[in-house]
Order: sequence, then C-alpha cells, then structure tokens
Amino acid sequence: MTVAPNPTVFVIDDYAPLRKSISRLLKAAGFVVTAFGSAEEFLAQYDPQTSGCLVLDLGMPTLDGLELQRILAGAGSLLPIIFLTGTADVPKSVQAMKEGASDFLTKPVDDEELLAAVRLAIEKNRALHREQTEVSEIRARLATLTPREREVLEYVVAGKLNKQIASELGTVEQTVKVHRAHVMQKMKAQSVAELVRLTQRLNRGKRSVV
Amino acid sequence: MSWVTAVWSMNSAACLTLAGFYFAIWCKQRQRPMYLLFSCSAIAAAAISAFELWMLNSRTVEEYESLVRWIHVPTWVLTLSFVAFVRLYLHAGRVWLVWSIYGLRTLVLILNFIFPVSINFTAITDIRQFSWGGQMVSVPVGASNPWGVLSTISLFLLLIFSVDAAITVWRRGDRRRALLVGGSMIFGAILAWHVPLVIWGVIDMPFFLGFTFTAIVAAMGYELSNDLARAAGLVRELEISEKRLNLAADSANLGMWEWDIARNEIWITDKGRALLGFAPSEKLDFDRFRSQLHPEDSESVRQAVENSLRTGAEYRSEYRAVLPDGQIRWIVGRGHVEFTRDGKPVRMRGASVDITQRKEAELEAARQRNELAHLSRVTTLGELSGSIAHELSLPLSAILSNAQAAQRVLANSKADLAEVREILGDIVSEDKRASEVIRRLRLWLKKGEVQQHPLRINKVVQDVLKLIHSDLINQNVTVETELAGNLPTVNGDPVQLQQVLLNLVVNACDAMAGCDTSQRRLVIRTRIENGGSAVVVSVTDKGISIPEEKMEQIFEPFFSTKEKGMGIGLSVCRTIISAHRGKLWAANNLDRGATFYFSLPVKVSPVATALPATPKNREGGLRRTVGSDTVVAPRPASDQLRRGGHNEVATKFTETDSNKELIPDT
Repeated sequence: MTVAPNPTVFVIDDYAPLRKSISRLLKAAGFVVTAFGSAEEFLAQYDPQTSGCLVLDLGMPTLDGLELQRILAGAGSLLPIIFLTGTADVPKSVQAMKEGASDFLTKPVDDEELLAAVRLAIEKNRALHREQTEVSEIRARLATLTPREREVLEYVVAGKLNKQIASELGTVEQTVKVHRAHVMQKMKAQSVAELVRLTQRLNRGKRSVV
Repeated sequence: MSWVTAVWSMNSAACLTLAGFYFAIWCKQRQRPMYLLFSCSAIAAAAISAFELWMLNSRTVEEYESLVRWIHVPTWVLTLSFVAFVRLYLHAGRVWLVWSIYGLRTLVLILNFIFPVSINFTAITDIRQFSWGGQMVSVPVGASNPWGVLSTISLFLLLIFSVDAAITVWRRGDRRRALLVGGSMIFGAILAWHVPLVIWGVIDMPFFLGFTFTAIVAAMGYELSNDLARAAGLVRELEISEKRLNLAADSANLGMWEWDIARNEIWITDKGRALLGFAPSEKLDFDRFRSQLHPEDSESVRQAVENSLRTGAEYRSEYRAVLPDGQIRWIVGRGHVEFTRDGKPVRMRGASVDITQRKEAELEAARQRNELAHLSRVTTLGELSGSIAHELSLPLSAILSNAQAAQRVLANSKADLAEVREILGDIVSEDKRASEVIRRLRLWLKKGEVQQHPLRINKVVQDVLKLIHSDLINQNVTVETELAGNLPTVNGDPVQLQQVLLNLVVNACDAMAGCDTSQRRLVIRTRIENGGSAVVVSVTDKGISIPEEKMEQIFEPFFSTKEKGMGIGLSVCRTIISAHRGKLWAANNLDRGATFYFSLPVKVSPVATALPATPKNREGGLRRTVGSDTVVAPRPASDQLRRGGHNEVATKFTETDSNKELIPDT
C-alpha cells in the first residue's frame, strides 16, 4: 500500500519512553508521526483538515483518552482513534468502541498488530475524506437548484411520474419536464437511478459525517 | 573439805566458767563488747567469791589486811564492767552517773591502796571466829576508816544508776530486762549491807557478797543467753529460708550467682552451673562466662554489665547460652552491683533464669505475626494486581516497540546505526525500570525474618505512593503529602511499614469511593511529636466517617465495614505497629472523613544524630507552593516507577526527600 503524502499518525501518551518507542516504530514503518505528552497538547495544535489517525493512551491523568475521543467527535473530526491501554479494561474498551474507536489494543502491542491497525485507520480516514468530498460536491450541486427544482427532485427521487408531480405542484406536465431536465443537468445525473444514488449518498453522509 | 569451802569454790568456778564461755564468744564476735564486759564481770565475781572464801578461812590479821585491800580490785573491775554493760547492752543509764561512779570507784581504789590497811579499815585489830553451819569462819574486827563512806556513796550511786536504767528500760516496754538487770542490782545492793553488819558483830554469818555478784552476773548472763538463743533461732530460720529459697530457685530454674569484681571470681549455684552449661567444679570468671554465650549476644551482655558497673543501674540482659552439647538456651540475667563508699564496684549479685520456653513462644508469635503480615501483603497485592500489571506493562511495551522499531531500522539497507544505538539504550533503561518494579514486588512478597533497622519514614511514604500510583489515578484520587523535613530515623522493617501505610491509603481510597471525583483527596503527613521522641504518620481522607462506637472495633480481627473486606487489614496493621513499639489509632475529621495515625518511637542512634544536615535537608520542611495551592515538586531522580507527567498533578510534594541516599535502599 502506498501512503499518501500527508496523513500523520498522532501518538498521544503521557509515558514518554513508550511514546518515543511507538513513534520510532511507526516512523521506521514509513509513517509521518507527531507525538504529544497529553490530550491537551494535542488539542492545542489540532487542525480539523489534517488527515491520518490517533494512537491514543486510554488512561491519562487529567484528560483521558475517552474524553479526548468525545471532544474530537464533537468537533467533527475525521481522525480514527486507535486506543492503547495498559489494562484490559472491558467497560472502557466497550465504551470506546461504541463511540466509534477504530481499534483497541493492549500494551505491550506487537508491531504488526499496531501497524495493521494504523494502516486500516488511515484507510478509513482517507475513505471518510473521500466521502466527505463527494458529499460536499453533491451538496454544492444541490445548492444550485431553485426551490421549485428541489421540490421536483424530491418527487422524482420518490418515484413519482411527471403527471403526478404536476398535479401535486398544481402545474402542467410540460413545466415539470423542464424542471426535471434542469435538475438532471445541475445534479450531473445521467439517469434517475443515479439521481437517487446521489441523494442517498447525501443522506448517508449526513449520518456518518456530521 | 567443809561445805563453805565447797559452795564458795563452786560459786567461783561457776562464774569463771561463764566468764570463759562468754570470752570465747567475744573472741569470735569482737564487734560485740558486751560479751567481754560480761566476761570481766564474771571473772571479777569469781575473784570476789575466792577472796571471800580466803577471808573466811583466814587465821592471821596480816593475811586479812591484805585480803581486805586486794578485794577492791575485782570490785572495781566488776563495778566498771557492769556499768558499761548496762550502757552498751541496755542502752540505758545516765552518762553523768556513769562517770561519777567510774571516778568515785577509781578514787576509792586509789585511796584503798594509800591508806595503811584499806578504805574500810584503818586497822584490823583482831579476827573474830565463830561457828556457822558447823564450820568455823573468820570475820575481821578493827577500826573502820571514815573514808569508807566514799565506797558506800559509790555503791549508792550504782544503785541509783541501776534503778534509773531499769526505769528507762521498763518505760521502753522491755519489762523483763528491766526487772532482771535492775532488780538484781537493787537486790545485790540491799544484800551488800550484810558486810558492815557482820563486821560490826550485829550478825554472825560468813560474807556472801560473791553470791550477790554472782546473782547479778547470772542475770546478765541470762540476758545474753537470750541473745544467743535468738541468734541460734535466726540461724535456724535462715537455714529454713535458705532452703525455701533454694527450693524456689530450683523449681523456678533460677541460678543464683555472685561475681567478686576485684578478684574476678564468679560463684554460682549448682543449678546456675547446669543452666549455663558449666562443669560442677569449674572455676569461673567473667571471660569464661562470656565464652559460654552465643557470639551474637556476647557483646550486648558485656555492654549491659558495663553499664551497670558504671551507673549502678540494675543489670538485665537476655541472651543465649550455648551448652556443651550445642543446645541453645535463652537466659535472662538480672543483678545489682554493690559499690564501695568511694563508688568502686565491688561485687555483683544476681540470678539467671531459663526463659527458653517463653522466648520460643515469643519467636513463634512473631513468626505467626509475620506470616499473617505476609498473607495480608499477598492479599493487598492481589487487590492491586491491575495497577501492578499496568506498571509492568509500560516499560515492557516500550521495550517491545523499541526492539521492533530497531528491527525495522536494520532491515533497511541504509540502516541508521546511531538510531539503533539510541534505541538499545532506551531498551536497557526500560528494562531496568521493569526490573525495579519486579524487585519491589519481590521485596513486598518476601517472606522471612523481619529486620528492623533505622529508616526514614518519608521514604516509606514515597515508596508506598509509587506502589499504588496507578491505582490512585484509576480511582481519581489526588494525594497531597506534607512530609516534615529532617525527621529523625525510626527503627523498623521497611516492608511492614509500607504495608501498614498502603493499607491505610487503600482504606482511605475505599472510604472515598462514593464521593465526587473532585472530593477524592488524600493527605499524608509526617511530623515529629512528643518532644521529639516519636514520629507520627497520618493519612487523612475526605470520605465517610467512622461511627464513633466502631472507632476501636475497626482494629479487631475479622471486623470489616466493607462488603468484600476480610477484616484483617487494620488488625494486622496494629499488630505490626505494636511490634514496632508504636501506636495506631483513628479519629474522625471535624468536617468529613477520618484520619488514621501511627506513631513510631524515634531511634536514638549515633547514626541518626551524625547525619549531616545537607542544604536540601534543611529546606525540606518548607512547603513549596506555586500558584494557588498546587504544588509542583521536582521529581525525585530515583522515582522510576512514576510515570512522567503524572506526579505533578496527582500528588503534591511538600518535600523532596533527599535523605533516601543516606539510608540504604533495601
């Protein structure tokens, strides 16, 4: 697998020797790594646009891993989180996974395991970015529609015929046909099926992205 | 032989016998002059009786004259010794009377030899003979000396002296003696009036003044014999009590001894010899005694003895004697030293007892206590296993990742050897960290003899915080420490003291489990108390208080307020602290929560006092305050278990215990 030029692995652990060794390992495997001694330090430089993933210590003295996870989720971060923990704390790991953690590893962690998790997380992050780009593209197209065209779109996607739409909107079929052609053109859809796919993507994006 | 001769001779002989008998006694008891005085009196009485007999048989005037003169010598002796006897033996009689009698009687004796015949006669003209009891007896006839009145006065004074002394003795309550000595003297004085009556021819009878004196001597003798009888009784009682003592000593396995310090000779009872393993006839001195001791105890016994010799304090030491067959016997020796007036030790007397059984019971109790303490440590460790696993997993994780990073670096064709070297260095240090955790665990779980030695209590506090560090973080408990600087050392077993403190900390955390996380604060303080004689450690929590009625109950075995508690923690803690001659107690705080305290006596040792006060030590007691109440202390260099960054927030230090280098880390 080729690594994109910009994804960064953020290693956050309060135990310096471990932080250092994990960073080393990831660097040796070819990743770009930035390490932090606490969640606060990470948040201070956090840029929502960055791509990559987090390797995060679960138990830290002030702001712990789970709390950081919540803060990032609240900020709409796309960075997947790989948790590292010294103790196999089942309730905490369950909570972490529920909140969308990418992986949950116990220390000491084997390099292959860690690297696989990081690769997966970066892949996820890339996918998320891709999806987010697509969704915003579709949204941008959607934004060009007039209110009337938007109404027509909703009916078309709902599978209504032009005649039905016209009667619903209290207009003639010919007018609906014109609107429909504009919708297809503005949404860059070749077929009704594609139009449906685009709007579905938008909805799914709403759930998964925001 | 006529009966008069026989009776007077017998009287004389009896007096002489008594005199000889008491003289012999006096020879053995020179410190009791009454025996000598009595002896003199008796000799004088015998002499008087002999003189009388001679007089009664006398046929010529010249013979009579010299007899009348010389009889005053025994009379003088008798008077003087009788008076002295009363003074010394009865502690009665007036001193001025004594000297008057002595003076007058001596004057009479001198005058007696100055005047032509005697103090009684200026001249003896004839000898009157008459038959008495079938035998002819002689009495003098002559002109009496007017100076003879001095003799009469002296006799009178003697009578007054005797009556006065008798009254004194009577008043003292000793009526028998008063009657015997006083009465006999009065009786004698009255009877003495027969002498002039015979001389004047008023009555016809032989002189029997000798018998009068004999009666007095007999009274004195009777008194003295009481003393002898009493002495004999005492001897018997002493024998009995000695027998009792021996019986008691034997049944108590008591060996009694006496050490003549100047001659360095030790006398010891047979029981004592058997006790210490000496041969029955072996000659003993102090070095031989010490050679019988266990090498480890020899020096302490010597010090105890030396201390007693120097200060006069009671000697007491417990030691082991190694018997010839190699058997070990525990002995307690006690004794006291006798000194001369100028303070030189003369001898030491004492007793030694076999305390092997008691000692073995004590050792067994200590063994069981340690066993229990060990079990309790194992239990505690079980409860902390998560925390400990975490402490171990940290360095192990770092090692693994470092090693695997190095493998990857080396797999690269352009391997960066400098980086590999750095990685290896980190691996080594992390490995040491892991070893340190294991070393602590091993120490903690170590079973075996408890060794008390001087230690710094602040170090114990810090070691405990290292041990429980991640557990405290997990429970969101903030620990503050206020450790007094320059604390003196205490004597103790570091692991057991850690155990006590750890128990108190775990309990405090449990008490706060139900509190809001911001309230979970724990304060550990150390301070000096009781005028520097004790170090007190306290653990204060902000959790639930202890019901007052359970304040003592909580230290009882198998009492627990926790659902899962076994109820041995605090009871073991109290046993441990008691074994350290300290105290463990609890009290509720004014606001909320409780504080547990334990005190340990300060070890007074040259090591402790000789510790140099380094600059760090001196500033140790200062509370380092930064900002509001947050204290950030530099992390002790040897604090290898503490994770970087944790301690600044989780624990506050008021002292960086720089003393740890001074006490060997166990």
